[in-house]
Amino acid sequence: MFEAALIVALIIMSVSVFLCFIRVVIGPSVSDRVVALDLIGIHLIGIVGMLMILHESLYYVEVVLVLGILAFIGTIALSKFIEGGVVIDRDHR
Amino acid sequence: MSNLLILPIILPMLVGTILIFFAKNHSLQRVIAGITAVLLLILAFYLAHEVYYHPQQTMILELGNWSPPFGIVLVADMFATLMVILSSIVGMLCLFFAFKTIETERAKHYFYPFYFFLLTGVNGAFLTGDLFNLFVFFEVMLLSSYVLIVNGGTNYQLRESFKYVVINMIASAFFLVGLAYIYAVTGTLNMADLAEKVGVLEQQGVLNVIAIVFLFVFGAKGALFPLYFWLPNSYYGPPAAVSALFGGLLTKVGIYAIIRTFTLIFTHNTGFTHDIILALAGLTMFFGVLGAVSQFDFKRILSYHIISQVGYMVMGLGIYTQLALAGAIYYIAHHIIVKAALFLFAGATEKITGETSLYKMGGLLRSHPLLGWLFFISAMSLAGIPPLSGFFSKFALILSGIQEERYVIVVVSLLVGLLTLFSMMKIFMYAFWGEQKIPTEKVDKKETMGLLKPIIPLVILTIALGLSAEPIFQFSLGVADQIMDPSNYIDSVLNQD
Amino acid sequence: MKNNVSLQTVTRLTVFIVLAFSIYLLLAGHHAPGGGFIGGLMAASAIVLLYLSFGMKKISKVFTISYPYLIAVGLLLAMGTGFIGVLVGDPFLTQYYDYFYIPFLGTVELTTALIFDIGVYFVVVGVALFSILTIAEDDA
Repeated sequence: MFEAALIVALIIMSVSVFLCFIRVVIGPSVSDRVVALDLIGIHLIGIVGMLMILHESLYYVEVVLVLGILAFIGTIALSKFIEGGVVIDRDHR
Repeated sequence: MSNLLILPIILPMLVGTILIFFAKNHSLQRVIAGITAVLLLILAFYLAHEVYYHPQQTMILELGNWSPPFGIVLVADMFATLMVILSSIVGMLCLFFAFKTIETERAKHYFYPFYFFLLTGVNGAFLTGDLFNLFVFFEVMLLSSYVLIVNGGTNYQLRESFKYVVINMIASAFFLVGLAYIYAVTGTLNMADLAEKVGVLEQQGVLNVIAIVFLFVFGAKGALFPLYFWLPNSYYGPPAAVSALFGGLLTKVGIYAIIRTFTLIFTHNTGFTHDIILALAGLTMFFGVLGAVSQFDFKRILSYHIISQVGYMVMGLGIYTQLALAGAIYYIAHHIIVKAALFLFAGATEKITGETSLYKMGGLLRSHPLLGWLFFISAMSLAGIPPLSGFFSKFALILSGIQEERYVIVVVSLLVGLLTLFSMMKIFMYAFWGEQKIPTEKVDKKETMGLLKPIIPLVILTIALGLSAEPIFQFSLGVADQIMDPSNYIDSVLNQD
Repeated sequence: MKNNVSLQTVTRLTVFIVLAFSIYLLLAGHHAPGGGFIGGLMAASAIVLLYLSFGMKKISKVFTISYPYLIAVGLLLAMGTGFIGVLVGDPFLTQYYDYFYIPFLGTVELTTALIFDIGVYFVVVGVALFSILTIAEDDA
């Protein structure tokens, strides 16, 4: 029963990733795309977490952490790009 | 077990790494690089000597003390050591030419480190006994070649090297796909083990597909018939020392890989695979030489000739007899040396006249007689005029073609030889003969001599290869004998005591 | 320039977490997922985060090492472990391990493969930062 629930959740998450992907492709503005990309990253974390429960293994913890860090930094870089067009400032104050 | 085998791979890598620290100091880089190149050559000869007098004529090294087929092995048989010697010779002389022609600006952008990383990849690809490791060394070699080919960053280089990078990336992706296939079918990537297992499976069905995937991959890297379009333009851009090294060595690594896999692993269905190879060989040499005939630029003609001559080497494999393979091996040795020499000549004339187009040169023979006649010798050797090395290798190939009654390829190769002679004469007539187009007072004898110094050994080598054809041909026959019989390779890797 | 106070405050905290995680991944790599490559990537992303929130000028004052040298040092370390085997008479790249007692940590398995991994770590940090900063210098 629990397993079935997990699998259903995984399927829903996958559909959700796909919807986010559509938003990334069509997204009218850049900020839509950035938010959708960030969402994909968070969905991936969730999917890996559920896989961990499903496989009863702790080996993917690192994957979750790495994905979290990369999604965080990626979103920051993209938002800085939207804000000023420059990702890494030459000189800052 | 002998750690000697790792040295031709690790020495250039080590020195390349150390050179990163001295990237700003051009003269110190030259000193270290020069000493290393000479050391590498001595090492290559020593390794070949050891292998030649080894009872099985094959030495192996189990990296990390993991025994095959589980770990990676390095295997040095006579073919591999011969290729290592050739790469060291060409590597050393092109490096000496680079000392004369590479600007400080290029040297500052890590020219010498990547030069040595390239040699690491080339030597590694020759010595490895593991298919995945071959992929890794191909990548080491290709990544360095990407850097060397854009080094300097002219617009032309950036544009053409992009195509070079893309085609090689695609080929590498297919290489990986092929590796996955063959691992799925046989469960191993060790070449000796693969040879045994493919023999047991009798190379049917999917294994033939895998063979063709590998042929495609190595063909793209070695510039075989449908996949050669990237070569002439991308070899035109970089400085002469680099294009000489590329023209001499890089495509030959692809050819080496083809010969290695199709004499060791995929040998059980020669009616299918080797006939395809033979057909590709004929098409490659024919279209390559047509490209050369239609060009009027020194470097471009030479680049198209690489393609046509790759055809000859693969032709030896396609005929697949001991004599044909010996001819192919002799031809590879001859080609690496002569092609490097010719590219260096192109670099020297470019340095002297400032041009590579044949229309704008002329009369170099009057102002630079030594350069002109040395070029003449190498060009004749390339075209296959006796008593130079090109003649004997082509003779063996054509003789074996007649013995095996493959008349079409014989006719094609003779025709291609004629067209090669024609386009070589075209360079000679336009660039060296005729009226002088650059003023005589600009001639600097000392500079010319400096440029010629690294080329003269290559020309002497091609003459020596031709004059001592008998012992060298015996040696090639020995090498061919060894690679025609994979059991020696398999036994020395898997069943050692 | 715009005001990045919240980003800078978060960065001050997270950078240490990410760096600690990268060291953890490096050390865990022998028997569990991890290793020099992913550890180096994490360290590089921590430093990139610093560059993002504080700008090139300030961070370049802090990290004065040249990244190409870092790559070279890493390569030398990684190759150096290969030669340990050669000195003893075993094949190149042979790895050795033993168990040591270290205060507070208990008995720990130490391997020469760890030194190799540290070399890889340096190379990855160097390559990632070198390429990211080269591209960053190009825009604007």
